[in-house]
Amino acid sequence: MNSLERIMATITGEDADYQPFTLLLSLFGASLIKADTHEYYRNPNLWFEGQKAAIDIFDPDILITPFSITLEGEAFGSELVLLNKYAPNIKKPFITDLTQFDQLQAPDFDKSEAIQFLLKATDLIAEKYKETKAIAAPIASPCDTPALLMGVEMWIDTLLFNPKKVELILKKTTEHFVRFGNEYLARGASFLVIPVDITSAAIISEKIFKQLLPYFENTFNQIKGPIVIHSGGTKILPFLDRFAKLPNVIGCVLEHTEKFETARQIVGDKMVLMGNIDGSNFNKFSIEKIKEKTLEILNNRKNDKHFIFASSNADIPYDTPFETIQAVVDTIRNFKKY
Amino acid sequence: MDTEEKKSLLADTINEGEKDKAVKLLSDWASQFGYKETIFTVLEPLLIEWGKLWMQGKLSLAHGYLSGKVAEEFYLIASQSKEFLSSKKRSKGTIILGNIEDDFHPLGRRLVNIFSNAAGWNIIDLGNDVPAELFVEKAIENKADIIAVSAMMFTTAKNIIKVRNEIDKNGLTDKVKLAVGGAVFKLRPELVAEIGGDATADNAIDAPALFDSLLKKN
Repeated sequence: MNSLERIMATITGEDADYQPFTLLLSLFGASLIKADTHEYYRNPNLWFEGQKAAIDIFDPDILITPFSITLEGEAFGSELVLLNKYAPNIKKPFITDLTQFDQLQAPDFDKSEAIQFLLKATDLIAEKYKETKAIAAPIASPCDTPALLMGVEMWIDTLLFNPKKVELILKKTTEHFVRFGNEYLARGASFLVIPVDITSAAIISEKIFKQLLPYFENTFNQIKGPIVIHSGGTKILPFLDRFAKLPNVIGCVLEHTEKFETARQIVGDKMVLMGNIDGSNFNKFSIEKIKEKTLEILNNRKNDKHFIFASSNADIPYDTPFETIQAVVDTIRNFKKY
Repeated sequence: MDTEEKKSLLADTINEGEKDKAVKLLSDWASQFGYKETIFTVLEPLLIEWGKLWMQGKLSLAHGYLSGKVAEEFYLIASQSKEFLSSKKRSKGTIILGNIEDDFHPLGRRLVNIFSNAAGWNIIDLGNDVPAELFVEKAIENKADIIAVSAMMFTTAKNIIKVRNEIDKNGLTDKVKLAVGGAVFKLRPELVAEIGGDATADNAIDAPALFDSLLKKN
């Protein structure tokens, strides 16, 4: 079985030759090739070189296109800051005053440096690996994107007090989401991964979530491929019952403290569950501890044919010892699931 | 209606997203029982309770934000009432608050403002993207005890060094304490000392206790 066949088997619930896995190595690729992260997130060839190094060493079953949702914020006009040894972040949101709503334009794919980087990096990954590996493309959720454009506080304020503005801004972000998501798929992504850090119970209330749900339904329905919902860094279980029923959703990535048993009770036996080792803290694990944690997850999901081992939360940090990641991969490879 | 019932009704109203209705409820109770009574027995206990629930992940940020907006509006109404004007609650001290130069992530700062105000501090909030010089200028002008600076990212947190330098340059090292806060300090606690901060708190609800302890050191 190659990786793609292994992932397909997991989706359909057939036996695979071994436990499939993926790790969020978007940033760690820079570490492997000793790249300056300022250039790494601007140069698709450099980013691809880093990913090739990661793939050659760790050989994950799912490859992930650049994980930097903030680049989409930049494409809309927010100011980005490129950081040393970290993924980029939003420095200054595009909208700092409600009157600026009207100036908001969906990104022009050809003119936006950020979008061009994301798409070209996807082309490079797809060209080399799409026949043998699954490719996941992270994309900002249409209802999380506004937080990249105005900050979390103003987005919450708008959701609470300005329903008309919510409609206006979501018109722009949903149009972008559908177009960009389908572009990723057309360029070779096998599925989209949608982090929902903002559309989570940690940030918004149940009442607000219900207001946003139709926007998810409408946009997901227009996506021409499968979708995986990602917890981002927050808990996904409180809204999972609704997310799981959205069009084209085939799986979800749990946050690292969430229980697979609870998720299974919510989504049933067929949906793909992914996670849930804490990827953003890989650099704090000892080798023994990370082996133990990996085994704990693998044993927990031993009888689950719709399970893909994955790192949860954000990128595996730049300064993670190589041996730590290798220990996770070796533990997975040596695990007798079938 | 007893205090618990009032708290419960206020919580339900805020849960429903009814800010104006919540402020009206508080105003109605204040007209019957007084502003201080309403603030000390209903609003502040609810804010503290919700703050704890938020920290435990049992309430959303939107709940915290909305309850903060209700509190802000009601404090404003209360501050203009005869009851408050005639015997204003004694302030613990003055804090100059703001997001450091180049930082545009106001949420933590606003929550610090709300909780610290509720705890009896006089907060002068300078907003986002505040230059180091302005923090110190306002501290001198208002005889502040503490300058509290928020930064979300490492790149902006480094700008706080300028505030430390301004404090020292103006001979305020032992008079004005520098409190720092924001996501980056939780990830990299050693940064507090590196950028010249005197202390930090893990979250907004812990900020008033931090300010209390810094005041004792002044």
